[in-house]
Amino acid sequence: MPCNVVRATVLGAGMALLLAVTAAQPALCQRQNRQEEFPIDRWNRMSPEQREKELAKLPPERARLIRQRLRRYNQMNPQEQQALRERYRTFSEMPPAKQEIIRSRLKEFRQLPVERRPIVHHEVEGLRAMPDAQREGRLNSDEFRGRYSQQEQQIIRDLTEYLPDNGGPRTSPN
Amino acid sequence: MICPMESHNPEMLVAYAAGELDVEAASALERHLAECPACASLATEQATVWKALDAWEAPPVSPDFDRRLYRRIANEVHLSWWERIVRPFRPVALRQLIPVTATAGLLLMAGLVLRHQGMVAPPQARAETVHAEQVESTLDDLELLRQFAPASSAESVHPNAM
Repeated sequence: MPCNVVRATVLGAGMALLLAVTAAQPALCQRQNRQEEFPIDRWNRMSPEQREKELAKLPPERARLIRQRLRRYNQMNPQEQQALRERYRTFSEMPPAKQEIIRSRLKEFRQLPVERRPIVHHEVEGLRAMPDAQREGRLNSDEFRGRYSQQEQQIIRDLTEYLPDNGGPRTSPN
Repeated sequence: MICPMESHNPEMLVAYAAGELDVEAASALERHLAECPACASLATEQATVWKALDAWEAPPVSPDFDRRLYRRIANEVHLSWWERIVRPFRPVALRQLIPVTATAGLLLMAGLVLRHQGMVAPPQARAETVHAEQVESTLDDLELLRQFAPASSAESVHPNAM
């Protein structure tokens, strides 16, 4: 009889565990997905009243700009939206310190003279496509140092290293 | 004779009670028993046990006992692998079926309730509120990331503000 009790306990515990895992898994996955959901998708799902209520908490001009920027985002074609969303997701999963580096460098990039931006952009794209050794060689070359200012060099180095593309950052975020 | 109790040899007394000692050894032991109360006591107790066993009668075996026994042995030999696996759990399944089923049912219901909450709530109630500042911050990041989109993008380098 004690043997039967042990068997019943083992069988019952096994079944219970199996059922609990099976039953709870979809709910857990759903909760996790919701947590990682893109904020703008969540915003778009809110009722118009809720959205207006939130915007009303900000100064009118700031609220107007947000509406305008959201409209532009929502007018982008689905492929572009998806690519941007993926890029943002990779970015948001990075450690906050690295996110801050990328923000700073991208802001600095935006402040560069208009004619310098395509050159810097092209350099970053080229470096990101290179194998490690070749990239290191290029970054340490006299030509590179002579072609870019100190600030541009820093922008190029950091963006080459940390900027996410749709497949994630070039190197590990950690 | 050396005392069986003192020499840690009580088996001799057990053998005596069972009638397994030869005549010579039995006579020697009987002489010792007359002088040793400890051995006499044990011998008496053993004799009582043997008497009780002699008095016990085994219940009669049914006429077809052998036939049924051999049939069970034959069945055991021919069990399929599945029956061999399931068999140890069969008594449990029968005796403990109710509590196990009840536990499993409760857990299943709990799981379904959790799942139900996530799936059926109307979209507006389900959507968590996002603060306008959070949207603004996301738009800022998107704008920054968009300006450095891959070169194929028409928006890169000279982005429109979002």
